[in-house]
Amino acid sequence: MMRSMRHGIQRLRRHGTSLLLMAAALCIQPITATAEERISDAYQIKAVFLFHFAQFVEWPAAAFPSRTTPFVIGILGDDPFHGYIDELVKGEKVGLHGFIVRRCQSVSDTRDCHILFICRSAEEDLASILQQLDRQSTLTVSDAESFSRHGGMVRFATESGKIRLKINVDVARQHGLAISSKILRPATTVTAGKD
Amino acid sequence: MISSSASPIRRKLMTMLLVTSGVVLVMTCATFVGYELLTYRKAAARQLATLGEIIAAESTGAVAFDNPRDATEILAALKAEHHIVAACLYDKHGNIFTRYPADAPDQLFPPAPQTDGYRFADDRLIGFAPLVQVEGSERLGTLFLMSDMEAMYERLRLYGGIALLVTIGASIVAYLLARAMQRQISHPIFALVETARAVSDRGDYSVRAAKHDEDELGVLTEAFNHMLSQIEEQNAVLEKRVSERTAELESANRELEAFCSSAAHDLRTPLRAITGFADVLLDGRAKIPPADAQRFIRLIRDGSGQMSDLIHALLAFSRLGRQPLAQQTVDLADLCREAYRDLSDDHAGRRVDLTIGPLPKAEGDPALLRLVFMNLLSNALKYSRTRAITVVEIGATHSVSEGATVYFVRDNGVGFDMRDAGKLFGVFQRLHHAHEFEGTGVGLATVRRIIDRHGGRIWAEALPDGGATFYFTLKNANAPTSRVDAVV
Repeated sequence: MMRSMRHGIQRLRRHGTSLLLMAAALCIQPITATAEERISDAYQIKAVFLFHFAQFVEWPAAAFPSRTTPFVIGILGDDPFHGYIDELVKGEKVGLHGFIVRRCQSVSDTRDCHILFICRSAEEDLASILQQLDRQSTLTVSDAESFSRHGGMVRFATESGKIRLKINVDVARQHGLAISSKILRPATTVTAGKD
Repeated sequence: MISSSASPIRRKLMTMLLVTSGVVLVMTCATFVGYELLTYRKAAARQLATLGEIIAAESTGAVAFDNPRDATEILAALKAEHHIVAACLYDKHGNIFTRYPADAPDQLFPPAPQTDGYRFADDRLIGFAPLVQVEGSERLGTLFLMSDMEAMYERLRLYGGIALLVTIGASIVAYLLARAMQRQISHPIFALVETARAVSDRGDYSVRAAKHDEDELGVLTEAFNHMLSQIEEQNAVLEKRVSERTAELESANRELEAFCSSAAHDLRTPLRAITGFADVLLDGRAKIPPADAQRFIRLIRDGSGQMSDLIHALLAFSRLGRQPLAQQTVDLADLCREAYRDLSDDHAGRRVDLTIGPLPKAEGDPALLRLVFMNLLSNALKYSRTRAITVVEIGATHSVSEGATVYFVRDNGVGFDMRDAGKLFGVFQRLHHAHEFEGTGVGLATVRRIIDRHGGRIWAEALPDGGATFYFTLKNANAPTSRVDAVV
């Protein structure tokens, strides 16, 4: 009974997602078009990746006070996604958790962020930012080249036109995060202090 | 000897047993293989679903983070499962993301993902599985798998081989068992056939079929043997009867020959007299006085009269054998008195002392029985006429040894030598010369024939010049005896 109900909900939800995508493709085309105009393909992919981390990383139980606590994706620095990521996560859910995108002005704003994208604009302050985040269970992601070296968890690296993941599993583990082996396969594992 | 391997009944029994076991075997194997194929199709679909689940789970990361190279590596693991003909991953927009094998032609892959699930299509097993990392969250893509049915055919071949081996093995065992077991039925039948053949070919009724079991064949064998015993017994009885009849015929034949010669002899005597006297009368040279001629003619007449009597007696005698018996209760004492009255010519003027004792009534033909007493009384009177007083006694006693009533006629006449007793009852057999005592020589033969026909026996006792007694037996009518005594 419960299972079939849940199954029904899932189907509805999946259905809802595709409807939403269709709607996004048809009705919201002008908005998307404007977003696409403003951001590059690379950032579109990076936005999708950020969204996907929610499915492949496990946070400590304390990160979600309730079953419906939404995922918080923080963006620190000059937002390169503009509205694209907001459109992407709108209505999406992982389990019962929805999504919130938060633009952070300072590290203190990132306290309840589950995923934090640190923009290149903040590259110079990386060391202090990461140090301040040391006590938080936040998955730190950045496309800054020196990110791994400074002890960041996931770096987006561009290799022959493709975006690849450089993941520091040890750091993630120290922060209580478990990264699925499924993204370690397509990623490159790095250790602190290296690229 | 029947070659038992070529015998139709053996072949039929073997065929019956082998066909039955063969049909059972083939049906069993067919059911088994059919069932296996059915379950195998289900199992194959389940296996492919499991494989799809693993591959789909493995490839979520590669699809989510857009790494076709890694996805290709994951799909390349399908090499181990050589029945997978093709596989591919679609991204969430339904575009082919990566394919296996890398050089597979496009037409192998559906251009867009179809309904999730596994199904048989065109001799292939295909399936679509969703790529979902966290249950309930967005669908990352779709996995497509295509498996050929070679595995099933492989299994079918294996089962076919096993079924064939089992069938061959079981057939051999069934053949050996059938060959051993059919003997229970065919051997008693062979034994019966052998026996029947011995009987029909060699006429040997002494052979017996061996009985093997207490079943119907055993009963048949027993009945067959019993029939043989009966035939054997009846044959023995028939043979005995034939030899008896032959002996009887031979004796009758001898009797007939003796009868013929004596009849011829007896007829020749008067004939010679007739011819002789006729010749004398016809001889023109001899002067015969009329008185002599008269005498000769009378002698010729006497001779022909004698011949006529003989012929009459013979005809009557031969009629005896043919005419049917009129069976009824007869008072023999009355018969005796009548006979004595009819014989008055024989005893007129003589002194006769006749005693008729108590005679039990008898079953028989009254006319023939009267003839018996006529002849016996006539003989008694004839052979005792030289006596001053003729004494004749007629009586009856019951003989234990004969098991019947014995009647007798006794006289005090000339008697005869017991050495001649055997000739007494033959036709034309006479113990005395015709010029001493006249007679045809047919009388006692007639008496014996009548007594024979009544199922009785006749015999005589005598002493030369000491009288004679004739005895005969007749069946008793169980009627009260009548006692008549008459003295003349």
